[in-house]
Amino acid sequence: MKKFGLSVIAAGLAVVAAACGGEEGNAGQESNGNGGDENTSEEQTEDLSGTVAIDGSGTVYPLMSRIAEEFMIEEQPGVSVEVSRAGTTAGMQRFVNGETDLSNASREIRDSEIEELEANGIETREFKVALDGLTIVTHPENDWATDLTQEEVQNMFVTGNYADDDVVMWSDIRDEWPEEEINFYGPNENHGTYEFFVDEIIEEQDLVDTINLQQEYSTLVSLISEDENGIGFFGFGYYVNNQDQLNAVSIDFGDGPVEPSLDTIDEEGDYAPFTRPVFTNISLNSAKEKPEVKAFAEYVFEYAAGEFAGETGFAPLPEEELEQQLEEIRAID
Amino acid sequence: MEYIDIDRVKKRMDKRLFINKMVKGIFFASAMFGLVVLAILLYRVIADSIGWISMDFLTGLLSTSAERAGIRGAIIGTLWLMAIVGPVTMILGVGTAIYLEEYAKKGKIHSIIQTNIANLAGVPSIVFGILGLTIFVRLFGLGASVIAGGLTMSLLVLPIVVVAAQEAIRSVPSHLREASYGMGATKWQTIKNVILPASIAGILTGVILALSRAIGETAPLVVIGIPALLIPVPTNVTDNFTALPMQIYYWTLDAVLVAEYANLAAATIVVLLIVLFILNSAAILIRNKFSKRY
Repeated sequence: MKKFGLSVIAAGLAVVAAACGGEEGNAGQESNGNGGDENTSEEQTEDLSGTVAIDGSGTVYPLMSRIAEEFMIEEQPGVSVEVSRAGTTAGMQRFVNGETDLSNASREIRDSEIEELEANGIETREFKVALDGLTIVTHPENDWATDLTQEEVQNMFVTGNYADDDVVMWSDIRDEWPEEEINFYGPNENHGTYEFFVDEIIEEQDLVDTINLQQEYSTLVSLISEDENGIGFFGFGYYVNNQDQLNAVSIDFGDGPVEPSLDTIDEEGDYAPFTRPVFTNISLNSAKEKPEVKAFAEYVFEYAAGEFAGETGFAPLPEEELEQQLEEIRAID
Repeated sequence: MEYIDIDRVKKRMDKRLFINKMVKGIFFASAMFGLVVLAILLYRVIADSIGWISMDFLTGLLSTSAERAGIRGAIIGTLWLMAIVGPVTMILGVGTAIYLEEYAKKGKIHSIIQTNIANLAGVPSIVFGILGLTIFVRLFGLGASVIAGGLTMSLLVLPIVVVAAQEAIRSVPSHLREASYGMGATKWQTIKNVILPASIAGILTGVILALSRAIGETAPLVVIGIPALLIPVPTNVTDNFTALPMQIYYWTLDAVLVAEYANLAAATIVVLLIVLFILNSAAILIRNKFSKRY
């Protein structure tokens, strides 16, 4: 009896030990492998370790995760760059708590956030990473609202403009359009895209009450792609990757409709009124204390932000602007 | 005159038999409903994952490129999680069960603890995530590390282990205990030499079932802030990590960015289901093989 019980316990422990041992075995191989890579691929730069924690905007996430991966493969295999995407505002809360080193944002940092950071002794600076065109999307079978004027966008999304209960019909916008209710969609308050839309596009008026605000862009894409009367907004990148499921509405800023594209969302492009820079806020405390944070930041502005902007649905910043920011980062110490 | 009106009886008989058959049909349909939904789910997941599960996928590191992405980090992260949850829940859970069954007087305090354990089992997992975020991640400053995730999951599944261990201990017949006391053994000797060996199968079954619950849970890990992109494999308990369900979660959401992520998510689901299947089979095997009848 006693023997039986002990042997089962021993067996249980052996399983646990084996699990741990297995991991350590793998881990050992892993670090050996990395060591080898470092020696062959990097001649001059010193090999760094540690982590770079990044959270923030879901709009910037595709670009930043692409950069992070490339950094770990090509530059510093010993560094772990961890990218999350809770949303600009939610990510900023973690940044304020000192939990992250970089905080991506699809809007400018707020004064209140700067104050909170200061109160916690965190020095920070805001950098532009790339340009994103806020894209208005509809269902692919929506063959009427293929273009809207800037004014129409502003009017339709603002509460009380067409109906007290915010049940807006397409025919309210233009008479010839169907007499069917428009369903509005957008990202929720955690997102910088939401704030950019409210602050800049509809100029701080209130959104229609009937709008369906979501945390995840994937939910937005699937909702709008299944709703013939749906209309919503988000960053260009999320449209580019779902062109078969969504229509991008061309916007008329006064000189005829302009379709958002990598060319038109450029700073001087025709879509510029709906174009905004996306940012990353870098904690100067981290950049000073952790060489890996500074190295990653340098990598972003030296090479990666320009290189990977296009494939992730952003227009790159002008060379001079990237360079100028690179100088600013190099000057941190 | 006839005593039995055959026509009338036949009419009623038919109706009763018809209802009898119909009810059977309804119950059969309800039993099938869950099964059919499960079959559809499995079919879709497996169809999506075909061609995506390979050695490279299982041993490769995470990547933003769907062709290169692998789940080695997630598999090892999940193993790490088990390595924390297993011992922690076993020690705390069995300790609690022994106290409640062997030491505590059956009174008010006992019933308060008992009720609370039952209530804990019903607390939504996201609440445990918030608890883990507040205590382990922020207060103890552990970050979204293996140890923080493991302790959060341990709290979540502890009630399962406690209840299983209590039942296992309770099923040890009292004549064994009394015999032990009769031989002059102390309470601790009785627990160590008689009760634990006799109930170990039930306890292990509970621990394994708790583990399989823990490695499938997503909500607490989302709350404690597991990054969407984390490439290095964790090598010790203070490293940040990712786990199989997190990878499923992020790949499903990010399928709007890269369509093939949906296939990666499906392939990861298959891997997770296989792990769960192995764990649950182990639990059944242990229960059948080692459970002794007294």
